Amino acid sequence: MDSLVFMEYALAGLIRFWLLCSDYRQTVADRVEVSTPLNSWKRVTEGAFLYNEGINPYDGDLFHETPLGLFVFKYMIQRLSQWLGVIFIICDLLTAHLLYRTACIYMKELIEKQTLEKSSYAKDTQGLLLRNEDLKLSPIYVASAYLFNPYIILNCVGQTTTVFTNLCLAATYLMMVKGQQLPCCFALAMATLQALYPAMLVVPASLYIAKKNTCGMSDRCSQIYSPWATCGLFACVLFFLLYFSSQLSGSWTFLHSTYGFILNVPDLRPNIGLFWYFFTEMFEHFRPLFICAFQINAAFLYLVPLTLRLHEEPMLLATSLTALTAIFKSYPCLGDVGFYLALLPMWKHLFNYMQQGFVVSCFFIITSVLGPIVWHLWIYSRSANANFYFGVTLAFATAQIFLVTDILFAYIKREFSLHFGLQREVNGKAAKLVLE
Amino acid sequence: MVYSKNDWNKLLKMVCFILVPFWILNVGQCLVQKDRFDEELLLKPLPSGHVYAYFQFTTVWDAPSGPQMFQHCHLFPRALGEVAGRHNVQELHVTLTEGLWRYEYWGFPVSDAAPGAELWTWFRNDTKDVDNIWKKLTGALSGLLCASLNFIGTPNSLSPEYSFRPTGVVKNSNLNSSFVRYATLPREIVCTENLTPWKKLLPCDSKKGFASLLNAGHIHNTNYHSLGLHIRPVCKDAKCTEVSIELRQTVSLVYDMMILGFQNQDWSLRKLFGLGLSGPCPLATSSFIYVDVTSNETGTPYQLQPEPTEVITSIRGGYESKFKVYNIQKMSFTHMLNIVATYSTPKVYAVNVPPVLYASRYIVGYGQERGGIVTKIHNNHWKHLDIIYLENIPWFLPIYLHTLRVVAGGKEITPILKKYVPGKERSRPYSLEVLLRIPARSVTEIYIEFDYVFLKWQEYPPDANHGFYIGSAIISAYLPVGKNYMGLPQAGPTIYSSFNASREGFLLQLRTESLIITLPTPDFSMPYNVICLACTVVALAFGPLHNITTKRLCMKDGNSCNGLLIRLKSMLFKGRKPQAQAH
Repeated sequence: MDSLVFMEYALAGLIRFWLLCSDYRQTVADRVEVSTPLNSWKRVTEGAFLYNEGINPYDGDLFHETPLGLFVFKYMIQRLSQWLGVIFIICDLLTAHLLYRTACIYMKELIEKQTLEKSSYAKDTQGLLLRNEDLKLSPIYVASAYLFNPYIILNCVGQTTTVFTNLCLAATYLMMVKGQQLPCCFALAMATLQALYPAMLVVPASLYIAKKNTCGMSDRCSQIYSPWATCGLFACVLFFLLYFSSQLSGSWTFLHSTYGFILNVPDLRPNIGLFWYFFTEMFEHFRPLFICAFQINAAFLYLVPLTLRLHEEPMLLATSLTALTAIFKSYPCLGDVGFYLALLPMWKHLFNYMQQGFVVSCFFIITSVLGPIVWHLWIYSRSANANFYFGVTLAFATAQIFLVTDILFAYIKREFSLHFGLQREVNGKAAKLVLE
Repeated sequence: MVYSKNDWNKLLKMVCFILVPFWILNVGQCLVQKDRFDEELLLKPLPSGHVYAYFQFTTVWDAPSGPQMFQHCHLFPRALGEVAGRHNVQELHVTLTEGLWRYEYWGFPVSDAAPGAELWTWFRNDTKDVDNIWKKLTGALSGLLCASLNFIGTPNSLSPEYSFRPTGVVKNSNLNSSFVRYATLPREIVCTENLTPWKKLLPCDSKKGFASLLNAGHIHNTNYHSLGLHIRPVCKDAKCTEVSIELRQTVSLVYDMMILGFQNQDWSLRKLFGLGLSGPCPLATSSFIYVDVTSNETGTPYQLQPEPTEVITSIRGGYESKFKVYNIQKMSFTHMLNIVATYSTPKVYAVNVPPVLYASRYIVGYGQERGGIVTKIHNNHWKHLDIIYLENIPWFLPIYLHTLRVVAGGKEITPILKKYVPGKERSRPYSLEVLLRIPARSVTEIYIEFDYVFLKWQEYPPDANHGFYIGSAIISAYLPVGKNYMGLPQAGPTIYSSFNASREGFLLQLRTESLIITLPTPDFSMPYNVICLACTVVALAFGPLHNITTKRLCMKDGNSCNGLLIRLKSMLFKGRKPQAQAH
């Protein structure tokens, strides 16, 4: 099994290396779906260049990385410019490996939980149960879904800084399932520092860590305190990183160019998200209102209800929050989409209950093909207009929404079936499952 | 009461005593307010067959300093004076130009101007809140000249560090570029409504003197016309203990005689301006017409009618030029003066010898995603030249400084100095100044990449697909030779002072073409549709997630959980069922 995984790493590395060395690299890096103003490597280069020239990169409009990022990337560009491609590949492979390890641990946990609760399950649910081979298969699927996902490959070849955000996120997931509080908080703070939206993963992370660390013990007190401790620790680490950044850049003005830029959405360059055309066509008077509405929708709206519903299953909570952010954030890119897609094979056992798999995959394929075509028609041959591309991004977002809601429905249905059996009968009559 | 003759005399004496001092004071004030007005016209046939006419009206005023400086004006236009005085202006340069000066074929003009409107100002060192006062100044000037100068504000103004030095006297030599503002409106269209208020600033208006030649119909059918207004402080005397104010009003016109419908190359005042000259402006200290006849010695010669009053040979920077001078004040006017130039043989065009330095600029790349700006600077001098290149890029065209490449003859040149102020969305343009040493007899290419920005739908002009203009780049250099150079020396205000004015270097500021790009446009008819569709997609997520999180799954038998139709039916027939049972 392990040799298979290493084969996969080697192959995925080779594919990325070949693409990075080919002429496609620039083409991919220039795609709006891959590079957004927030993660494009060209802007990072510009920022580092300005910094070397003695000009504050946050004075201009092009650079939106944090000072910490600026410092690291500047070093990479100056000292390791020969190895840039290799660094990106290694980070991507490392992300895949972290996710693989996460899946291994998580699947083991699921099976342990299953054996514990088996007695309470309904009788006819043998077919629904996780089998021991899932323990091996799921992680391999996760790794493959990351390694050979075309979105992730494009993201790596396009050399976006999302590669590093994904690495931080993957580290967060691994530390979360391992129940290691401080490393988890640190990784999450790093991801938050760069992309802001991952901040809300602190909720599933703290729940998970609390559950993991107090497992077996009937110490209710620590179960209540632990989540707060994790949140507090996260806040401290994040503040420390921000303070460190401000010391690096000499002032707090970077906040406006980084988080201000994420929250206010001043750059309306098209991407795969919903913000760009909405705020291009927005009436100036309603702009602040809708910016607030859309940002709340992207960040907080689903946090509380989903936490209340899925607090037993923080991993699913974390994944669905990551997915919803990737759909609704202000500058989403394919790297974000690919990341949560790679997590889905952990819920391989739910796939039986998913109803829209075919529709969603058709949507994904069609929009992925149509997107670049209508972009070319609009921007280069000028025979289409912005509506075409907007339509494609809408369809893409719809497909992702279907996918997320479908997997949540599937989870609920499976839980129901486990506890109440597969029979759909009430008093001997055929019955239906409804949400009430 | 009856006055005797004595009383009358007494009264008159008293009145005299009271009034005379006032009268003397008044005369004194007039004497203190020394001012002079010179009108000049330079006519020059260009090597390309065009005719260049340059009018210059100079008012020099030894203005009393102080807050009431512009309250008593004689020849100086009070309207302009008040605008300059109120806004703490030290130097003011406005040009309104239609067309492009073709340096390669026409040589250098007397004063350069960028296409459209161009405005640059030095404020006094004690000015507070320069940005605010600059906005007010552009508003006032916009009213004065009927131009859209009020669209100039901080989002499209630069404070160049090296390119703009004060042209006049400066009290203390440490200059702070935070007091200079430069802006262009490349899209500005110059027309009669700008010419009329401009002419009203002249002492004789357009009634008398050279200004009577400026008729809108004959100005606006030229290939190039440029109105200028330049205020600067100059030295009152050689010691320079006191300063005077100089106002230079200029008009540059380039006529294409062939296009204007005359079958030959001959030109005359009447052909150019529609009528002859009726006499000098009575308020003018001097009125001169100069005709550049240098080309008579090398190219096809032309004869002038009537004979000039004087011939001047000027040697400047190693190059000799000849002028025929008409002193209008010394000529007698029985009828309109018409200076006629006739070519004895059809004009033969020689091979064009381009000037020492000229430039061109264009946009590369296709599509509306990313592109580059290329500026080619030609140096025809036998020695290297040091130039300052000022790039003025609007905020909606973000440039990447790390893509800046300066290449001459296949070799990359490292700029001696770079000054870059990154732009900010909707509040500041990108300004880049590069100090370069360009090699002898070379073409230097400056290349920089930019992105196309996607604007909000209300930020596009009504004709969105017409495109957006980018103002010209400015190339400043000190030319070591005076070839083709016609600019005025710094000390002298008149064209006359430029004769035989050899200096170590001749300050030249070239303006390149302004560019136009079409930014990608959204569909302007769609706002409601877009808002509805995007919100629908958000709702698509909200609905199911709301269901999942607020409801619980349960099993319902077929009857109790029927569709809407059946439920409606059951509600409708609720009343009837018991009846049926009753039967």
